[in-house]
Amino acid sequence: MSVRLEGVSFRYPGSETDALHEVSVALRPGEVTLATGRLGAGCSTLLLVIAGLAPHLTNGTRGGEVTTIDRDPATRDGRKVLAGRVGLLLPTPWTQLSGMSFTVEEEVAFGPANMGWRRPRIAETVERAMERFGVAHLAQRDPRTLSGGELQRVMFAGVLAMEPEVLLLDEPALELDPAGAASMYEMLPSLAEGRTVVLASTDLDRAAAAAHRALLLDRGSLVADGPAAEVLGSDGAVATGCSTTIAEITRAVGLTPGYPLTVAEAVQRMRR
Amino acid sequence: MIVGYVPGRSPLHQAHPFTGLVLAGTVVVLAFALPVPQGPAALAVALAALALLAGLPRVLLTALGFSLPFWFFLGVIHGVIGDAPLRALTVGAQITAMLIAFLLVLATVHPARLADALLERGVPFSLAYLLSATLQAVPRLRRQAADIVDAQRCRGLRVQGSVWRRVRAIVPLAIPLVLGALAEVDERAMALDARGAAAPAHRTPLEPPPDSISQRTVRWLLAAAAAVVIVWRIAG
Amino acid sequence: MSALRLEEVWFGYDDTPVLKGVSLEIAGGEAVALLGRNGVGKTTLTKLVVALLQPRSGVVRAGGRITEGKAPEDVARLVAYVFQHPDQQLFARTVWSEVAFGPQQQGLSQDETRGIVGDALERVGLEAFAEVHPYDLPAAQRKLVTLAAAMAQRPRVLVLDEPTQGLDRAGVDRVADIIGGLTEDDVAVLAVTHDLAFVAEALERAIVLEDGRVAYDGASRELVLDEHKARALGLEVPPAAALSAALGLAGRPVRVREVMDALRGERGTGNGER
Repeated sequence: MSVRLEGVSFRYPGSETDALHEVSVALRPGEVTLATGRLGAGCSTLLLVIAGLAPHLTNGTRGGEVTTIDRDPATRDGRKVLAGRVGLLLPTPWTQLSGMSFTVEEEVAFGPANMGWRRPRIAETVERAMERFGVAHLAQRDPRTLSGGELQRVMFAGVLAMEPEVLLLDEPALELDPAGAASMYEMLPSLAEGRTVVLASTDLDRAAAAAHRALLLDRGSLVADGPAAEVLGSDGAVATGCSTTIAEITRAVGLTPGYPLTVAEAVQRMRR
Repeated sequence: MIVGYVPGRSPLHQAHPFTGLVLAGTVVVLAFALPVPQGPAALAVALAALALLAGLPRVLLTALGFSLPFWFFLGVIHGVIGDAPLRALTVGAQITAMLIAFLLVLATVHPARLADALLERGVPFSLAYLLSATLQAVPRLRRQAADIVDAQRCRGLRVQGSVWRRVRAIVPLAIPLVLGALAEVDERAMALDARGAAAPAHRTPLEPPPDSISQRTVRWLLAAAAAVVIVWRIAG
Repeated sequence: MSALRLEEVWFGYDDTPVLKGVSLEIAGGEAVALLGRNGVGKTTLTKLVVALLQPRSGVVRAGGRITEGKAPEDVARLVAYVFQHPDQQLFARTVWSEVAFGPQQQGLSQDETRGIVGDALERVGLEAFAEVHPYDLPAAQRKLVTLAAAMAQRPRVLVLDEPTQGLDRAGVDRVADIIGGLTEDDVAVLAVTHDLAFVAEALERAIVLEDGRVAYDGASRELVLDEHKARALGLEVPPAAALSAALGLAGRPVRVREVMDALRGERGTGNGER
């Protein structure tokens, strides 16, 4: 298990309620796990806790035990050992810019350089990452001149260039247009090979197909944990608006739970 | 208007980042320590020549543009109150010289090279990053400010015209800028941390900043010149 | 007289033309989606509409007035723009003063302003938060504050940039209702959006830009039902419409509720599966 939470609660400073409450979950490589819920359910907080950034940078109080790749990511020792091994991608690309680069290539190399890798290794990982995200042709461009979608792909390449073992994605396609978002989600299962991928998203119509497993959060508590189709197709998820549009429609017209998530599945069920 | 790094191959660009910083520092010292008003005036002229020689005329124009309001106010103050036009000339020249020097440094010192140079000298990453990222923050803030001005104008905010009107426009323009910048700081800190900014490893310089004996000599000479001038002024 | 009209508008940055002869006309009371790939010129077009930019050639008529020679603050009474990121605009200490900014800039009296602000807050459902500091509200509600502020300008044309981004289902429904109310008041609504599901629900007309020109201008329901055309323009058919097309539902519904009704109709009373 590369990520394990046991009875984890987290409260932001000055808040009267827990952002996460008694959450226990164990995640393993090879899977894309979707964390979803209504707005404010705690999905982003979950990612930050796994990364140790909560409470390290956010302050606040954390209860329970968190183990990310064998270490507690919020401790000094844990942060040292885990540096660069837990990748995090936030929704807005511009706020993630390093501020130290004038070409896309430099920007993608920022993380690997921080790891102290030798230049040949950096060059190789940067090229591979840029190819993977289709931004190699932008290598010499100034990142500040790119569109939101292009820049987000560059930031994703920058995260992946560090070859993280755990990949945390917070609404990664928020600034992308439909074609861009679709291709990003399509790529996720392949990124999970040998890696633990956790995706926080409320864009269920796209994210559902990309996930092997789903965690349903409600006001900080984990209410469901299982295979994506099962969790997202359950009555609880669909009734609270935490599933795909197709599931919502089929539930409303009287199908039984285990609702279809995609058009193809719905057509199959309807035609039976 | 150019505020911020401008890629190029001028001698200033190719100079070691510290050389640029020492130059700026020296200019500040000389601006106040040289005999007035000829000293600051000559300094401003010399820096203007440097900017042109470096192939950065637009940076020079930007600096002159920024200094115009100062000249205007100096003229007003000394026209209304003062009887010392030389004083106005002095202060104006000092401000102009410093503006040119700062903008030149901003335009020719690559933030990453500066950070790498500092890291090589053993400066902790957080400090090195703070300095270099500040350099890049300026153009970004400018762009954001422009976006905010656009947004508020669409709501009817009048930004052209009388001074009073412009003063009243400051709050609806400054607050979103400041709050936005502050909100971004949190997110950026998280993204940077996740990208290893605080990693214990020694950061690999991507393009080691070239330093040389002649560069170091230049820096020492500049510092020495500043010191000499200070001593000379103190000694009377 | 149309609320918004563009006649053969050309615009470019430096030497690269972005809009190459765009013509369109929107009447008061219409709800129109502006679609197209990223970088195609949607934002450029909206900036031309509010006079943040001036066309290189061609004419932009907003609220019946030509924008040439005018500044955005001059046309604020006719066209209002809700930017994608609300934090670009929020500066006041309370939601009330934020929304009152527009009317105040228009020189309206306190009484008039009070009425307008109250109305706008009611429409977005934020009456209870009038005295709250905007930054104490969650991001989704801050978006609604800027929407109310734009509505308080009482424009003839309201331009929205990605109005549903970052909103949950309830928020999207509310925006759809607000747009419905605005069109009933004869306001022309132009929404730049990628959210085709939202387009199907709330915006009856779709204009798609491609290659600097208008590539489609017609009923949005026709566009969302045509997968081939939508794909070709870089758009994705929303799930409800895709289901409707796949099952060949009678009446070709595209809205979620209409699809549900059509399905219930086809399945009898809709109790259990067949």
